[in-house]
Amino acid sequence: MRNLCLYLTLMGAASGQVRFEDILKGPGENWLTYAGDYQGQRHSALKQITVDNAGSLTPQWVHHIAKANGLRTCPIVYDGVMYITNSNELRALDARTGRLIWQYKEGRSKKQDVNRGAAILGDRVFFVTSDIYLVALDRRTGAVLWQKKYGSTEDGLYASAAPLVLKDKVLVGVSGGDTGMRGYVTAISPSTGEELWRTYTIPAKGEPGSETWGKYVDYGGGATWLSGTYDPALNVVYWTTGNPWPDFYGGDRGGDNLYSCSLLALDADTGKKKWHFQFTPHDTHDWDAQAWPVLVDLPYKGSPQKLVLHANRNGFFYVLNRVTGEFLNATRLVDKLDWASGIDAKGRPILIPGKDPTPEGTRACPGVRGATNWMSPSFNPSTGLLYVVTLEQCDLYTSSAKEPEPKKNFSGGGAGPKPSEVGQFFLRAYDPKTGERKWEYPMTGPGESWAGTVSTAGGVVFFGDDDGQLVALDARNGKHLWHFQMGEGLTASPMTYAVDGKQYVAIASATAIFSFGLFEPVRPVALPKIKIE
Amino acid sequence: MRFCVALCLAAAWPVAAQHEKEGEKPKHPFIGDAKAIEAGRTLFGGGCAACHGAEGQGGRGPNLRERVMWHPLEDDTLFSAIQKGIPGGGMPAANLPEDQAWQVVAFVRSLTSPAYENPVAGDVKIGQELFWGKAGCSGCHQIQGRGGKLGPDLTNIGATRAAPQLREAIVDPDADGAPNYRGATVVLKSGKTLRGVARNRTNYSLQLQDADGNLHLLSMAEVSELTLTKGSPMPKDFAQRLGKPEIDNLVAYLSRQSLRPPEPKKKKEESK
Ligand code: HEC
Ligand code: HEC
Repeated sequence: MRNLCLYLTLMGAASGQVRFEDILKGPGENWLTYAGDYQGQRHSALKQITVDNAGSLTPQWVHHIAKANGLRTCPIVYDGVMYITNSNELRALDARTGRLIWQYKEGRSKKQDVNRGAAILGDRVFFVTSDIYLVALDRRTGAVLWQKKYGSTEDGLYASAAPLVLKDKVLVGVSGGDTGMRGYVTAISPSTGEELWRTYTIPAKGEPGSETWGKYVDYGGGATWLSGTYDPALNVVYWTTGNPWPDFYGGDRGGDNLYSCSLLALDADTGKKKWHFQFTPHDTHDWDAQAWPVLVDLPYKGSPQKLVLHANRNGFFYVLNRVTGEFLNATRLVDKLDWASGIDAKGRPILIPGKDPTPEGTRACPGVRGATNWMSPSFNPSTGLLYVVTLEQCDLYTSSAKEPEPKKNFSGGGAGPKPSEVGQFFLRAYDPKTGERKWEYPMTGPGESWAGTVSTAGGVVFFGDDDGQLVALDARNGKHLWHFQMGEGLTASPMTYAVDGKQYVAIASATAIFSFGLFEPVRPVALPKIKIE
Repeated sequence: MRFCVALCLAAAWPVAAQHEKEGEKPKHPFIGDAKAIEAGRTLFGGGCAACHGAEGQGGRGPNLRERVMWHPLEDDTLFSAIQKGIPGGGMPAANLPEDQAWQVVAFVRSLTSPAYENPVAGDVKIGQELFWGKAGCSGCHQIQGRGGKLGPDLTNIGATRAAPQLREAIVDPDADGAPNYRGATVVLKSGKTLRGVARNRTNYSLQLQDADGNLHLLSMAEVSELTLTKGSPMPKDFAQRLGKPEIDNLVAYLSRQSLRPPEPKKKKEESK
């Protein structure tokens, strides 16, 4: 049986072209986008690992990356090969053994920053360097085909997001929103590296929306440091934007500061904005909207609807119509939330006065890390629940009216919890139809996690906890099934894949990739007969 | 001969990176300067080659390429070793005029810095014709997506290897032990035979890549026999088949292979 599987794998290797249609199918054996699918649901069809057997998961291999600095990568798997990224580096691993097949390292990059992962299409894998090149590699040999510079570090930018591959485009974003820059999403041709369109998140002076800024509109921020999601039927890309700049001082930027802290719906062919929804107008708490926009089709208030769900850093859980951008509902994501008493019928927060940062410090909730952040949520269509890692925390926010210096790492203040008030993480399951919290699972830990979740058809939801453990829960009720201590903090989200009919669950720790599967005794391997010629 | 992944990983980026990263102190203007390097080569030939070899490959004195590679000397340290010698170590003081000493430093640096940062002796254009034609290199190597897939991609080779390394790779392919590229023939228990290079392997698994670039990720439990080449599967007779000028031309062509073009030299020091 294993022989047959192996043979099939070999056949697969010979044919291999990752087609757009393969990505549309969603995750099973393969996991082809950062979020596994285009919808951001992170729900896999695999069901070898179930609620009943998850207790016998064991580590299958570990791939250590010496000197890695808090890996943010979510692996991509195609045809038994896993692609992971580190700063300015992409590695191809044998997904069954964790052995290195090849690595590509860009030693000339002017920056060394975190990297969130790769993208795959045809015979190519893509990733971005910290100094803002999109790199295309042959997915089998690692040969480099081209690099395309799509931004400059001299403009206060760097790059960290996993690219998003569409049928004939690779979409990339930029980071650096805390230093005074102007965010954008760029589409690049996967075959030639040619730039196809670019959409700025902050209007240029004189453009509509620029009236919502004061003098620093040129450096308004709105970074695009997380991948987006995509609706192939509507041909619309959903991409979130970061904070306005300077982060904590709003005195020189009176107005809503469009389109910071927003969700943008972009026409995939042209990059033109179809609609936008701003979660936090005139943000002064550094609440980037970088949380995954999850696309689901659900009956909502009596009729089937195309929805986008967004658990936002500002503490609210939003439901929008993803065709029109119409605001439908917002509920409290967390208990510690005191800057707004609610969201009005138009989707604007109802502010509670006195919560802006001040030179002496203002206590406000959620904290600067947000009620949630870029850690991946997941949605299980069978339970109908959205699984979100949330943080209950309040911070002391300070501000400084010092003259801002663009591109110089000036954020106009700062924020952090009192040592006696360090927050607590929870994994929570929400019913998107009502916003109701169905169950929650409290974590222990220092309040520093960046790890997210993955959901499986086996009825198990996996997440990285705040104490360096990968944990499996029953997706229906949050009951604990299994856990494994990985020995260091987690800054990435888990995913799942299969090779030769065996299901694996993988996650990056700060310096290594771990892969788990159901226990099977190791069969003895006779020493190979090797001839040297 | 076992091959060792830790070593291969280190070897993947062996050239002491010479780029000005943010916050690095500026280099002496002679470093990477064609005229200075040529002048340094002449001085080196006269005063150093007798002990260190014409290309710094070592002799009575140590190999300057390896040493600098594994534990890079600062330019200033190199300068003072040249000027003051190494007392008690058999290395005499050169006591050159300051400019000449810096020319020698520039030459020694060029032995280990990325080939594209330095001037080359051969003809790039002729090297290109050889590579894609008569010499048959493109049958096994890719540059920017064109060419054969058995051997390593050379798209960036001018940025990741120094010129003496490029020369050595052509005339003595076994010198580096060919980590990740030993030729491999695998007979599977199913009777099937696969050929290619072993990108990695243990007693339990083999990551084979064939000449079409396809990967075969095998469990050694499926393998009945594995035959590995002793060293590199690259032809070993280029030194005989090609003349020195032709090899110079190939090195010149390879030295220009860099996806990111060399950044223009900043002239801040000189213009003042
Ligand atoms: C008479 C032989 C001789 C000559 C001529 C000579 N060297 Fe050396 N050199 C040595 C020896 C022997 C050492 C090793 C000294 C030790 O490590 O104790 C050495 C060491 C060095 C080192 C230090 C290497 C290391 O690994 O730290 C450098 C650099 C160097 N030589 C450069 C030069 C240059 C440049 C010249 C010409 C200007 C030169 N040498 C001329 C014999 C010589
Ligand atoms: C039969 C296939 C084959 C041919 C023909 C061939 N090579 Fe190679 N080459 C290889 C393989 C395999 C390796 C990797 C193993 C090694 O280091 O020798 C390699 C390595 C190299 C390297 C070192 C790459 C590195 O990463 O350090 C260079 C440079 C190189 N070859 C240049 C050439 C040139 C120039 C020619 C033509 C004169 C040529 N090769 C012809 C197969 C080939």
